[in-house]
Amino acid sequence: MIASTLRFLWENKMFLLAGAWTTVQLTAVSVALGTVIGTVVGIGRISKNKVISLAAAAYADFLRGTPLLVQIFLVHHGLPAVVSRYVPGFHITPFISAITALSINSGAYVSEIVRAGIQSIDKGQMEAGRSLGMTYWQTMRHIILPQAFRRVVPPLGNEFIALLKDSSLVFAIGYNELMTRGRLLMTKYFMFFETWVAVAIIYLCMTMAVSRLVRFIERRMAVDDQS
Amino acid sequence: MIRVENLHKYFGKLHVLRGVTNHVSRGEVVVIIGPSGSGKSTFLRCLNLLEMPNEGDIYIEGVNVVNHGANRVDINKVRAEVGMVFQSFNLFPHMNVLRNITLAPVLVKGISEDQALKEALALLERVGLSEKAEAYPSQLSGGQQQRVAIARALAMRPKVMLFDEPTSALDPEMIGEVLDVMKDLVSDGMTMVVVTHEMGFAREVADRVLFMDGGVIVEENTPSELFSNPQNPRTKAFLSKIL
Ligand SMILES: Nc1ncnc2c1ncn2[C@@H]1O[C@H](COP(=O)(O)OP(=O)(O)OP(=O)(O)O)[C@@H](O)[C@H]1O
Ligand SMILES: [Mg+2]
Repeated sequence: MIASTLRFLWENKMFLLAGAWTTVQLTAVSVALGTVIGTVVGIGRISKNKVISLAAAAYADFLRGTPLLVQIFLVHHGLPAVVSRYVPGFHITPFISAITALSINSGAYVSEIVRAGIQSIDKGQMEAGRSLGMTYWQTMRHIILPQAFRRVVPPLGNEFIALLKDSSLVFAIGYNELMTRGRLLMTKYFMFFETWVAVAIIYLCMTMAVSRLVRFIERRMAVDDQS
Repeated sequence: MIRVENLHKYFGKLHVLRGVTNHVSRGEVVVIIGPSGSGKSTFLRCLNLLEMPNEGDIYIEGVNVVNHGANRVDINKVRAEVGMVFQSFNLFPHMNVLRNITLAPVLVKGISEDQALKEALALLERVGLSEKAEAYPSQLSGGQQQRVAIARALAMRPKVMLFDEPTSALDPEMIGEVLDVMKDLVSDGMTMVVVTHEMGFAREVADRVLFMDGGVIVEENTPSELFSNPQNPRTKAFLSKIL
């Protein structure tokens, strides 16, 4: 079994690695966009403005409380169904759907991370900034967020790893990443066990690489960060 | 310079300031004493609008800075003119000493980095920390951090400096260096309002001592009068405990 799996992996290495590379790109772009969304939503969640904080909480609750697969279908099939009524011929590619669904989803989880990160910063920091005449946003940007981001690197890394695995769900809309390629190989060669062990091994390598990368960044920041 | 009229502050149902009225003249040094929970910090924080009073007015150089009804003021502008030093220093840990000092003048007043840097170095010399310009807060002792915090507040060229128990978080051997910097400010004519338990400091430099209890100013007088001849029984009781 081991030998046949390794042989299978070797023979299809280019095909699978191309899928793995697509998975990495998809995840990286989605986490990057998700971080932007999550930062905005996370700041919204601690807003004193009730409308903003409720809207931000609703966003996070909806996306964390529904299955990612449902969200992917909603973006890929649901959205065009509605929009094409007003914009004839509106079409959405699996690529766009995949990135949209994953970024929106990860934005919800990141918002939680960002909110916790901001709230972990001593209240005295905001007060010190404000007492110097800086506005709320100036203090956020120069004082609070830089400190918060240092603290959220480990949970953001975990989010990256979670999304890397969850991105496999986009096979359901036919986006050509690692999972989809696994299924293609399965239907081509009918080597079920070998196929999925091979795919699992590749995912494992990717998640381990990411967690090493995160630990490296953490260590680097500990060196830079004198505080 | 600062006129406070009938100030009230509630935290929910808790009535913390119950009608504070006072006047601080230019160049005056006012020390506030009082038991824990009497509203000293809240009063000070109202003066630079970190807390919004629920009732009453604060005039800084004749301008009412409390937002209510028709009166609208730019809070940030008020704060830029009122320096505040906290018990817990609150330096920005991710920035070195120089950056701590130059950030606000550059962002808020729009002065050039070069100019801000020059002024920061002068201020550091004044508080005796020139050699720590590049250090990060975590590399400084408590006393040094508090001196940087004072320099940071001064960099905005405030008209008034507020101190909320600036030496309470310090080891005893560091209290002196911070008080010395504050005394230097006094001799420079800075208007100051200081909440402190340092009675020696109050005796030496205060023009007036306010005794607060239960959200009001119970008694005020020159330090020598207040300490040697308190009138109100609550003042007497408090002083007998700490002197
Ligand atoms: N943000 C807040 N929310 C609710 N209650 C508060 C808040 N800040 C202060 N209080 C309460 O208001 C009262 C007065 O507090 P304040 O900090 O002004 O007292 P203080 O005289 O400075 O006391 P201390 O000597 O202990 O510093 C206390 O009962 C305190 O618990
Ligand atoms: Mg206090």
